[in-house]
Amino acid sequence: MDRTKDILFDWRLHLSVLVITIIAEAIGVIAVPIGIGSILLLPLLYAFVMGLVLNPNVVRKAGAWMGQREVRAASPLIVIAIMPFIAKFGTIIGPSMEKIIAAGPALILQELGNLGTILLAFPVAVLLLGMGREAIGASFSVAREPNIAIIADKYGLKSPEGAGVMGVYVIGTLFGTFIFAILASLLATSGLFSIEALAMACGIGSGSMMAACSGALSHAVPEMKDQILALAGASNVLTYATGLYLCIFVALPVTEKLYDLLGRKEPATNIAGE
Amino acid sequence: MSNAELPVDFEAEAKPDLAQHAVLLIAVCLIALVGNTVATDATVMQGLVGLAILYVIAILGLVLTHIVPVGLPSVAWISLVGIVVTLPWTPGSAWLLEKVSHVNFLTLATPCLAYAGIAIARREIEIARSSGWKLFIVAVLVMTGTYVGSAIVADLFL
Repeated sequence: MDRTKDILFDWRLHLSVLVITIIAEAIGVIAVPIGIGSILLLPLLYAFVMGLVLNPNVVRKAGAWMGQREVRAASPLIVIAIMPFIAKFGTIIGPSMEKIIAAGPALILQELGNLGTILLAFPVAVLLLGMGREAIGASFSVAREPNIAIIADKYGLKSPEGAGVMGVYVIGTLFGTFIFAILASLLATSGLFSIEALAMACGIGSGSMMAACSGALSHAVPEMKDQILALAGASNVLTYATGLYLCIFVALPVTEKLYDLLGRKEPATNIAGE
Repeated sequence: MSNAELPVDFEAEAKPDLAQHAVLLIAVCLIALVGNTVATDATVMQGLVGLAILYVIAILGLVLTHIVPVGLPSVAWISLVGIVVTLPWTPGSAWLLEKVSHVNFLTLATPCLAYAGIAIARREIEIARSSGWKLFIVAVLVMTGTYVGSAIVADLFL
């Protein structure tokens, strides 16, 4: 077990993260106005980009400072580093319990909105981009860990469906925080939806997507910060509690049916080969 | 649940035990303390007390994960502990909240995303590269559809 210890206490890794954090926080939040709203660039986004720049898999020259050892050591630390954040999140949900209970029905029903991906992404994947069965895995859900587990269980990860879900998972991992932060700040400033609804919708993805999304939202509407964070956090907990069942019993069967209607009939090809 | 961006990697991965967690959490909290001092007007002392409380909440959550074998991930326990100690009817919750208020919530996510950027493995980049632009478009639509869909439904029932 000495090797484990060795990897986890890798000083280059922690020193890099410390320096990245200082730089990111020193830059602070930057608002970029565009058309119907503004995009908020948050320190956590700069931190992610700086992390990528130091990653030897992304920028080869970074190999002079860090190697695969550090890359491997960083992975379990993501979960540890999110723990103080989650603890703080709990302390925001606690005092708002009464408001969350009051919003209860909307919170539970908004899980149904997750099916929106099937309406928007699935037709484009099949009809416009001509994707095969990988479209099922790619567009039936927001492709986080529980969704991958469903696909792995039903089709296996080497199948076209598996390639689809893994592809969206990877892109979500790489760009999800950006996309959610941009969506949230655009919609918050557009006035199309109530801020409470946007806050609840922030809970649909992973922890860091929720962080970026609710962070962007609370920067756009600072006077509602506590409420935003509480609703996003509660929705995120619910997503993990109910989202899995919605995917198994509704989203995946519906996507399958749609594929029978719209999809091509010849055997699927793997997207990797196209 | 929110073990967020952990790549689905079935190769052996370093799994820290409770004692290592405790030490690594101190390291992470120290990084967060520096970040908090840079980002906010809070003094080092205020940040330190706030982070110490969050540290204790996280450790309590980790201990619960170990002793209550119901398969709930550690982050779920941690948020549960955080919720329970700050419920309005929990004694001392006002004091705790005042101390924790000096820690900026978004700053706590910054180190995490830095680790996430460093943790991207070669295989994940390859998948993104070979599946290319089609999957990128679909992924953006998936996230947009899910987000806007949830917001519409929530808006209807609020």
